[in-house]
Amino acid sequence: MKKTIVLALTALLLTLALAGCGKSGKASESDAVAKYGSSVLKIYLPGEYVGEHLISNFEKQFGVKVIVENFDSNEMMYTKLQAGDSYDVLIPSDYMIERLIAGDYLQKLDKDLLTNLGNLDEAVIGLDYDPDGTWSVPYFWGSVGLVYNHDKVDPAVVEAQGWSVLRNTDYAGRIYIYDSERDSFMMAFKALGYSMNTDKTDEINAAYEWLREMNNTMAPIYVTDEVIDNMMNGYMDIAVVYSGDATVILDENEDMSFFMPNEGTNIWCDAMVVPKNAENPKLAHEFINYVLTYDASFDNSETVGYASPNAQVLKEMSTQEDLYAENEAYLPRSGYEKDEMFHDNIVLQRELSRLWIRVKAEK
Amino acid sequence: MSEKKRRGVGGKIILALTLLFFYFPIFYIILFSFNDSRSLTKFSGFSLRWYEKMFADSTMMEAVFYTVAIALIATLVSTVVGTVTAIGLSKSSRVLTAFVERVNDLPVMNPDIVTAISLLMFFSVLSVRKGFLTMLLAHIMFCIPYVMLSVTPKLRSLDPNLIDAAMDLGATPLQALTRVIVPQIRPGIVSGALIAFTMSFDDFVISYFTTGNGVNNISILVYTMSKRVNPSINALSTIVILLITVTLGIVNIVPILRERKGKKKS
Amino acid sequence: MKQFRSMTYPYVLWISVMIVAPMLLIVLYAFTTSGNDVLTFQFTLENFKRFVTDSVFLAVLWRSLYIAVVTTVICILLGYPIAYAIAQLGDRGNTIMILLITMPTWVNMLVRTYAWMGILQDEGVLNGFLGLLGIGPVPMIHTSFAVILGMVYNFIPFMILQIHTSLAKMDKNLLDAANDLGADPAHAFLRVTLPLSLPGVISGITLVFLPAVSSFFIPKLLGGGQYVLVGNIIESQFLTSGDWNFGSAISMIMAIIIMISMYLTRKADVSVASNGKE
Repeated sequence: MKKTIVLALTALLLTLALAGCGKSGKASESDAVAKYGSSVLKIYLPGEYVGEHLISNFEKQFGVKVIVENFDSNEMMYTKLQAGDSYDVLIPSDYMIERLIAGDYLQKLDKDLLTNLGNLDEAVIGLDYDPDGTWSVPYFWGSVGLVYNHDKVDPAVVEAQGWSVLRNTDYAGRIYIYDSERDSFMMAFKALGYSMNTDKTDEINAAYEWLREMNNTMAPIYVTDEVIDNMMNGYMDIAVVYSGDATVILDENEDMSFFMPNEGTNIWCDAMVVPKNAENPKLAHEFINYVLTYDASFDNSETVGYASPNAQVLKEMSTQEDLYAENEAYLPRSGYEKDEMFHDNIVLQRELSRLWIRVKAEK
Repeated sequence: MSEKKRRGVGGKIILALTLLFFYFPIFYIILFSFNDSRSLTKFSGFSLRWYEKMFADSTMMEAVFYTVAIALIATLVSTVVGTVTAIGLSKSSRVLTAFVERVNDLPVMNPDIVTAISLLMFFSVLSVRKGFLTMLLAHIMFCIPYVMLSVTPKLRSLDPNLIDAAMDLGATPLQALTRVIVPQIRPGIVSGALIAFTMSFDDFVISYFTTGNGVNNISILVYTMSKRVNPSINALSTIVILLITVTLGIVNIVPILRERKGKKKS
Repeated sequence: MKQFRSMTYPYVLWISVMIVAPMLLIVLYAFTTSGNDVLTFQFTLENFKRFVTDSVFLAVLWRSLYIAVVTTVICILLGYPIAYAIAQLGDRGNTIMILLITMPTWVNMLVRTYAWMGILQDEGVLNGFLGLLGIGPVPMIHTSFAVILGMVYNFIPFMILQIHTSLAKMDKNLLDAANDLGADPAHAFLRVTLPLSLPGVISGITLVFLPAVSSFFIPKLLGGGQYVLVGNIIESQFLTSGDWNFGSAISMIMAIIIMISMYLTRKADVSVASNGKE
């Protein structure tokens, strides 16, 4: 009995000591409370999606505390919202923002408080899901493309075949496919020349067959985030990767190249929104405005590797030698008519989800 | 004699191989937490950069604290409640026992996501604000069945006459409980506590959906940071291993030292 | 005895609130379809039909059960000798070994699985070792071998703990009695030790088989995503498709199958136990 108590107490003490190691200094809160009503900001965003110093700099500058919660997927975030959880800032993807607007989860942004909106690059203004920027402010944008080992795969072949290189049996057993029905069907639709938002049954079936054949002839490995480390280590030759992750891969592994197929791909945008039940909307606006500043945007883009919505940062990142000028994954294509953004269609998504299980489950 | 010896050696070999199997990945993690690059297959040089990153990150340190705190409290509560209930059940009707045992199976059997969603909606319906307390309650909820699953088999092998004998000799029910039953089932209680601790320490999905207010545990960090912070997670795991080893070391060495002191005195 | 019985009441109250009530929500979801408000739900078997009539889903369920059974059997076959070997050590040896066995499980499962991924790669340590012996790189990652290895690694400590609990402090007098009556060690084991340790084995089966059926993370990482298991499907219904009704129905189907298997297993235990006592 004594032993157990001693054990428990020791463990607790040791962890308390360690926890103390990591605490950062606190800034003055009273000013913040006076200005915003509360000195606490709750943000909910994907994991590893924010610049190294952004949060702590924001906390110091405004004398507030930021509580960060992470989600793995937009749907996970949506599940928690449905249960009534309250946050001040969310950073979902384009199609999810459509769903949130339709479901009346968001509040309109007060543009008077967002003085830095002028920093936004043309490419992210007027996007389909929120053309007037009433509800959201872009945070990161990017593309989906092929990362391939240019020593083992001829770039000319990749450029000629585009998405179909993933069905080229020369590379069977050497490819990674993202385990996401959304992205996989996107590839199939594009390869077949259809819109990736199509809901026509014959097109969907054609895409399903395309994927089935890929599964049966190419022995692909279905991965999620471990693809980044794996491609950095060069375990396979071709992978379907998001542009920001590709930026990191290309940075670490010189043998890798990135290509956006000519058949078109998904150009997407993640944006900051303020939910209706936010407890501190004023501070939320302050945060959004802060993210748009040059310093914060630079920190963000440099750390995470995705394209910045800030015009100046975007230009610098993609043209300066010591940044991402040589990295073809950084800057997404814009204005290419075959590239598309996802629309929210939950019926379609369920159908694709069901079909995707069949694609993978076949042996 | 020689057969016993043979068995002894055979046993030692089995144990050695077992430890090798169990600890190979662990040493791998520890080794690669000092890796200069991100690779998990090529060791390119010794570096402390991941540890620096980890200590600079207050969320990681907080998560360690919450994980340990919740695991300890949940284990303590569930061990006590689980043992008491299991003992009570052994003297109860078959119907009640069957009911409790079937209900206990549910959190063990259901995919974590089902338990998580059921609790998420349950707390939502009750308009309960989520945070440390709700996560703790959830952990206690799924830990108790594991304790009971460990204690019950030991109870079944108990001689039922022991308790009657004790009471006949004048013991109160409480004394019969603590002096007779508990010592006999101690291995079950201990293993139940260990399993409960493990389940709590490692839980992700249920914790994720029952927490709030920025309260994270190690698992939540690991799962939502699996993209690029892998090596820091290895560093974190190494620290956790160190913590555990030191704690267990202290707890086991102190009695040995006491013994030696006692021997010296006599 | 009445006093002992009343010790159960607090817990019964607790589980009614914390387990039964939330589960009833799941049952409600399973029998309704989305678009139902709380006050106007219509009962339907639609969700169950969707699963049971789809051969792909049934194949997935079958595969999950198969992996779970294989994992459980290997855990028993390997776990029993290990638990037995531990039980032969002295008191202190016992405690230390049990702690040593349990400690790796406190390292996050994802971290341990990533470690195995690194170890099993073609360029990994194991293949490096085999290379020294002149054996070419053996593909180990993304195979059934890797999946079972990962599953067993994750679950075997629980099996060992449960069997060991039964074996430890086993009444040595019984073994001595058997010896005195002329039984050789093998017989003594089969007739005395094994039956008495059975409750531990059954408990171990519960702790391994039940979670193994709904496991999908380890097979996903180590199997290369080709392993679509029932756990994947359920989780994707809740998290990706937002179809909680379908997800709830599938988990109920899975739960029923598991409960039936456990009922049969436990019945076997009872009959063996009662035979053993004779």
